Amino acid sequence: MASNRRGVGLSAFSNAAISSDQYARHGQQLRTSHADALANQLSVFQAALHNFSLTHAKDIRSNPTFRAEFARMCNAIGVDPLAGSNVKGASASGGKAGSVWAKMLGSSVNDFYFELAVRVVEVCRETRSENGGMIAISEVQKRITKGRAGVVGGGMEVTEDDIMRAIESLEPLGGMFKTQTLGGSKFIRSVPKELNPDQSTVLEVIQVLGYVTVSMMQANLAWERARAIAVIDDLVADSLVWVDSQGEETEFWSPASMHEGG
Amino acid sequence: MAATSPESSLSSFSTTAYTPSTTAYTPSTTTQAISSSGFNFPTYTSFPPFYTLQPNLTTRTHQLELWSTLISSYCAYYRIFRLSLSSLPTDLFSNANIHRSLKPGDVRTVLDHMSKPENGPRIDWIPSTTRNEQSSSCYVYWKTPGEWADALHGWVDETGQKGTVLTVYELREGDAVRSKEWRDMDEGMLRKVLNVLVKRGKAQIFGQEENAGVKFF
Repeated sequence: MASNRRGVGLSAFSNAAISSDQYARHGQQLRTSHADALANQLSVFQAALHNFSLTHAKDIRSNPTFRAEFARMCNAIGVDPLAGSNVKGASASGGKAGSVWAKMLGSSVNDFYFELAVRVVEVCRETRSENGGMIAISEVQKRITKGRAGVVGGGMEVTEDDIMRAIESLEPLGGMFKTQTLGGSKFIRSVPKELNPDQSTVLEVIQVLGYVTVSMMQANLAWERARAIAVIDDLVADSLVWVDSQGEETEFWSPASMHEGG
Repeated sequence: MAATSPESSLSSFSTTAYTPSTTAYTPSTTTQAISSSGFNFPTYTSFPPFYTLQPNLTTRTHQLELWSTLISSYCAYYRIFRLSLSSLPTDLFSNANIHRSLKPGDVRTVLDHMSKPENGPRIDWIPSTTRNEQSSSCYVYWKTPGEWADALHGWVDETGQKGTVLTVYELREGDAVRSKEWRDMDEGMLRKVLNVLVKRGKAQIFGQEENAGVKFF
């Protein structure tokens, strides 16, 4: 419409000041009518979303693809689906709006992520003696999908994204669970002791190469023997690596590869 | 005295060319495995450090648990009632693919762990016949003697054989027990199971050796 006008009477708008003023007023009109239409659309959408979450609560719980789409939709309109469950969310997406959304999306979404968070905590606790408190997210996902031992139908179909969201929801509990990326894979750390840079570096090398020896650390990282030994001793003491003494040189492996391919 | 059939299947295992992979067990052509697909070795049996006794005690405790589970499952699958340190199944304690094997001393450490009451016990050392000599063989309790006692007595009851006298031979190798899990059980172990029933007042034993008779109540 605007382009037609320009084409037909461009000469009539040769005065720049007049044209910009008219455009400004027209723009304001458009903005107002758009805002009204949008507010109306939103309230219709609100009601629809509320009904939707009630009727599809079961789907939200059982279907990870559905959940991912649902989460993407929420993010696209600036809503945190877990807003009701943590303090941070209350101030997100314009304060009141965030918690109103959460109320409407219903407890089904919150319940799901709460239950998932509980499972994540369980898995980390159960595997601590095997991995020292550092577990790959892929392994957590596998174990949760498989379910609790001896419980029929106890598995939850979840994705790594679901797990990440569940961990974020645990933040108000004091940051017991942190994520760290090593060699391209995401890990969850469930012990308070943080890795120092040297330790992180070695675990990263192990993640990429499978295992490490003192000579490899000296050669690839240009470390002195004493430094390499000190770091690896720390990692062994923290149960973060397993020792293999049947090679030519003692090898140090990450437990992350222990159950892979199974 | 010991049953011969488990041992003959054990020796066939030590000579077969077993090549485990990380994903699936590929059976050798000369194996006499119970089923055509063979025992499904868990992935961690391809993890080299699994065969080194871990220096960190927390990690070691977990490792011993994994070994215990592995040995119990393997013996249950192949119905092995007794392990002898001088002729252990090689594919259980070593992985030829990765050139790793559990040292004999460490095998004993694992079995000691399994022999503790708080851990089952999942094995029972058989005292050596020579004085002051360490045990070199053990019974494997992938079912406990109590569970075997229940199974045995349950079968006697269901088949209406309470009150009749059955020989130890019949209980171990008779046609009637062809399909039973305890068939060909090591005789020494069967006697332990029968003694459980005797203690419970559910059985009485007459006579000696293979001619011994058992009456169930």
